[in-house]
Amino acid sequence: MDWLPYALLLPTVAFLSVFFVYPMVQALLISVRGEDGGFTLRHFQAMAQDTYFGDALRNSLVLTAITIPLQVALGLAIALLVNARFRGHEWFLYACAIPLGISDLAAGLIWLSVFTERGYLNAALRGMGWVSQPITFLSPEHPGWLYGAMIATEVWRATAIVMIVLVAGLQLIPKDYFETADVFGATGWRKLRYVTLPLMRPALQTALIIRTILAFQLFATVITLAGRIVPVLAGEAYFQYSQYRNPNVASAYAVVIMTLSMAITVIYLWLLRTRDVEAARG
Amino acid sequence: MRCGLLVACLALLLGAAPTSSAPAQEVTFTSTQLTPVEEQEWARTTLLKPFEDESGIRVQFVADTAGPYIDRLLAETKAGRGSVAVTGTLQGDYPLLVAQGAVRDVAPLLRELEGRRDRTFVPDVVKSGQISGIQAFVPWMQATYLIVASKQAMPYFPRGRNPQAMTYDDLLQWGENIKQATGQRRIGFPSGPTGLYGRFLHGYAYPSFTGSQVKKFKSPEAVEMWRYLRRLWGVSHPSSFLYNFMQEPLLLGEVWVAWDHVARLLPALRDRPNDFVVLPSPAGPKGRSYLAVIAGLGVPKTSPNPDAAARVIEYLTRPKTQVMTLQGVAFFPTVREASGAVAAGGLKAMIDGVTAQATARDARTALLPIGLGARSGEFVPLYVDTFRQIAVQGRKIEDVLAAQGAKLADLYRATNAACPPPDPEERPCRVE
Repeated sequence: MDWLPYALLLPTVAFLSVFFVYPMVQALLISVRGEDGGFTLRHFQAMAQDTYFGDALRNSLVLTAITIPLQVALGLAIALLVNARFRGHEWFLYACAIPLGISDLAAGLIWLSVFTERGYLNAALRGMGWVSQPITFLSPEHPGWLYGAMIATEVWRATAIVMIVLVAGLQLIPKDYFETADVFGATGWRKLRYVTLPLMRPALQTALIIRTILAFQLFATVITLAGRIVPVLAGEAYFQYSQYRNPNVASAYAVVIMTLSMAITVIYLWLLRTRDVEAARG
Repeated sequence: MRCGLLVACLALLLGAAPTSSAPAQEVTFTSTQLTPVEEQEWARTTLLKPFEDESGIRVQFVADTAGPYIDRLLAETKAGRGSVAVTGTLQGDYPLLVAQGAVRDVAPLLRELEGRRDRTFVPDVVKSGQISGIQAFVPWMQATYLIVASKQAMPYFPRGRNPQAMTYDDLLQWGENIKQATGQRRIGFPSGPTGLYGRFLHGYAYPSFTGSQVKKFKSPEAVEMWRYLRRLWGVSHPSSFLYNFMQEPLLLGEVWVAWDHVARLLPALRDRPNDFVVLPSPAGPKGRSYLAVIAGLGVPKTSPNPDAAARVIEYLTRPKTQVMTLQGVAFFPTVREASGAVAAGGLKAMIDGVTAQATARDARTALLPIGLGARSGEFVPLYVDTFRQIAVQGRKIEDVLAAQGAKLADLYRATNAACPPPDPEERPCRVE
């Protein structure tokens, strides 16, 4: 038996075990253990009865459902544009990738400086004479604006990662497919619909999974722009741990985030399964 | 040349230690305060240096977080022999130290200091150090919360009323006047995720309206208070829920009237001392409640050198040292004479405001809750969550108070903690 492949996998497995599996198991244990060390669902009950839980769950799901399709559509558009190799496309790619290097907190602060009462947006609107008094965009009285600001920030911040994955996926498609399509006289749209998109399934799958997992960890940008008026799951895990000093309920939140991320990942894997797999099954 | 170098090295290796002039005495001063690295450095090189020069006593300053700090003091008490000569921590830590017999009664020292006639300790602050029949600490420094207002807000202050004796009704009227005149809501509170608005609720509004922090949580007076707070929220800046520190909205002009922790308002006053005024927190039907966050200096029973400890305490409570502390780390004096020692500017305005609040005729000190142990993190969020449900989500006040009051009662029952002042000292504190 050849042990080499296993030996090569070992460092990765060790890393994942120590830094991912172990904390995950630990969080799971903390969330179901009572003071006496026995099994209990009390912490999950406490979480469900928490003032913020319902809103946090709803907000996390709504924000994920809105931002991810936007990010994938935008990421795909940029990837296709870059792949068209127009003049200066490299610069365009770098410019689009800039937000990758910015932390989520910094991104939140950048957009906060845009949307506050004395921010850039109000300054521009007043400068153009469109408003006489500054508009308070960030206020619980205008939930639409509040959500809009958060979605804009998230799309700005995290589309880059989707785009990078999709550009890589696009470049992996062999030229032969497009040449064959040309021979049969396919239009640009048909090439996109029947060649590019199907062959990009693995890349799309990866991008979607990465984004979904990260979307449920969404925290710093929301806190910066909406405080706790728009609670999200990851934020509540943080508050339970740091402010309420309740690691049990914080872990219960973490387990909910983990379960949701895993469930959605499975759905993606199933929906976007590649043809090879289907062929193997058939 | 080479020979000289060798000699120099040898001198460094062998000679340095015995030849350096060691001070006659050395004392250890432990504290939970001034823990950030810059503040520790400041304490060693700026705060304590003049004392070392003057007394010949070297002070080894050890700042630590509450856990290890208390463990060390209790361990030394248990061992019956200690190295800590003098110690400084928050008032809330002292009941535990007194209960474990870790600190001396410093009443004689306090009397001696007051006999010097250059320092009058704020009476309420001295009282907070009286724990289980002894004077557990000499007041060292304090922090509190008050209002800073932009001068452009002053013309809208209710006519015929005195801002220095502001009531909660005045504050609401002020906000309404501004709103009417400018169309903007210019009162601001630090209601952001890490803001200290919770302190306003349990330490200021509750005792001012109900005379209680905990016991009357769901009383009819509390219902009235929440009705008031709902109206106040209606004239407060709609972005208040984002503010964690009030200095920035003040400096930007987004907010004209801000309530916050002194350290979080001081930067605005330092930046533009001529643009702002400092006002005491408002008074309600039950007086002008304010929170005093007090740090005190104590002498462990196992102190190896109580005389040197007394000298350190004498030095730290001098008006001049207190002003130095204020300028260095924005902790406020506990002696009245310090107020006169700052010439002008933002600090002077702030120090006058703090003193005016503490010595107002109707002033009532509220203290932070103590004795909740591992569950102390739940206390403030209980008030903030109540506010969210009532003022932001618009739920029925009585229902919210009943549900949140049950949680508060459970917290006190489970921890068997006593009521925080101004509530009577009852254990466990019961929510009526």
